[in-house]
Amino acid sequence: MIRLENIHKFFGAHEVLKGITGEIPQGEVLAIIGPSGSGKSTLLRSINLLEVPTEGKVFIDGECINEGRVNIENVRTKMGMVFQQFNLFPHMTTLENVIYAPMKVKKIPRKKAEVLGKAMLKKVGLADKHKTYPPHLSGGQKQRAAIARALAMEPEAMLFDEPTSALDPEMVKEVLNVIKGLAHTGMTMVIVTHEMGFAREVADRVWFLEDGILVEDSPSKAFFKAPTSPRAREFLEKVL
Amino acid sequence: MILLDFERIWPSVPYILEGVQVTLAYTSVSLFFGFLWGTVLALFKVGHISSLRWLSSFYTSLFRGTPLLLQLTVIYFATPQLTGYMISIWEAGIITFTLNSGAYVSEHIRAGINSVDKGQKEAALSLGIPYHLIMKDIVLPQALRTILPSLVNEAIDLVKESSLISVIGGADILRRANIVSSETYLYFEPLLIAGFLYYILVMILTFAAKILEKKLKTI
Repeated sequence: MIRLENIHKFFGAHEVLKGITGEIPQGEVLAIIGPSGSGKSTLLRSINLLEVPTEGKVFIDGECINEGRVNIENVRTKMGMVFQQFNLFPHMTTLENVIYAPMKVKKIPRKKAEVLGKAMLKKVGLADKHKTYPPHLSGGQKQRAAIARALAMEPEAMLFDEPTSALDPEMVKEVLNVIKGLAHTGMTMVIVTHEMGFAREVADRVWFLEDGILVEDSPSKAFFKAPTSPRAREFLEKVL
Repeated sequence: MILLDFERIWPSVPYILEGVQVTLAYTSVSLFFGFLWGTVLALFKVGHISSLRWLSSFYTSLFRGTPLLLQLTVIYFATPQLTGYMISIWEAGIITFTLNSGAYVSEHIRAGINSVDKGQKEAALSLGIPYHLIMKDIVLPQALRTILPSLVNEAIDLVKESSLISVIGGADILRRANIVSSETYLYFEPLLIAGFLYYILVMILTFAAKILEKKLKTI
């Protein structure tokens, strides 16, 4: 469903991604791991073109999205994204956060959108919070609301950019549980994470990135049992 | 010795008071159009079209770099000369104050837009929301909340600056006070009343802004 071909990304003279090639088939849960500064987030953000690759091609459903005249807004509606800092719209209630894009982008009538939005909030355990403004939610609740917001667009894939890194430890689990539940529905997911236990449990595949290079691309079980590259082995020894 | 002689001014007070309406009319209409114009300019400034970016910056520098009184007199006296159209005092005032406050407001709004966390825009982009809706529904509402105090300051400035209209004959508070002065040969008293009226207007604005700010904060 998602295919990356020789992705390079420069920030000024600094090369963050040094030619990444890989494929994420429909229904796969992929964890991208690696030390900080390795380019994980930039790679993830390249998939929906929040970062436009300096070189290389991104294919979604066989269509190259960073060349020629592609309606990028259309492509983005197929991929939900969840951010480290939640990025909820603080001036809208939780429900408004969830239904805004379905209403304005997909032109779903308000009544129908509200039903959909409430269902999504229920799914992430926030049924009672739809009238609350984001500043009054806890970190875990915010992130779950952000997941509901992304899901309300009924995307084909979900991108998670360190979804639990900004959370207090006691709230990590509630968010991970929601993501796990999602993984079981057969949703294509790409998760940048530092939670190794979670990656091991939920991911089908692991990409290990270091210094802008895709060092290892292995099935999750094999990777955590015995990574083939010495760099990955070293990394796992440090974090596990 | 009688320092202040309000007895002789008393009959003229209603006449000066009517100037409040005039002052408020100039202020509110220019504030409204100045805000719209300032928003447009600000969107040019943060937008992707470099010619519009340049144009709006040049425009702002022009209107901030010359005296308002000069702008007002140029528009009032030069318009008939250049176009043959006999511009009224009201039109000249509204146009000048709008163009001028638009320049100031656009800078406030631009700063407000830049102060909105860029994650907001990214989240909106990731949902496939088009640029104009991101600006209208997500960035601008948050930007305006941040810059509300500076917008109130702009309104306060405009209340006071609108008194320049008296120079070209607009019958606002100040102009009326001056007319009373020349009729009664009393200078201090009418001006004191005028000053008091301006002060009250500004205080009301300040108070209203405080309430508004508090209300926005509780959300």
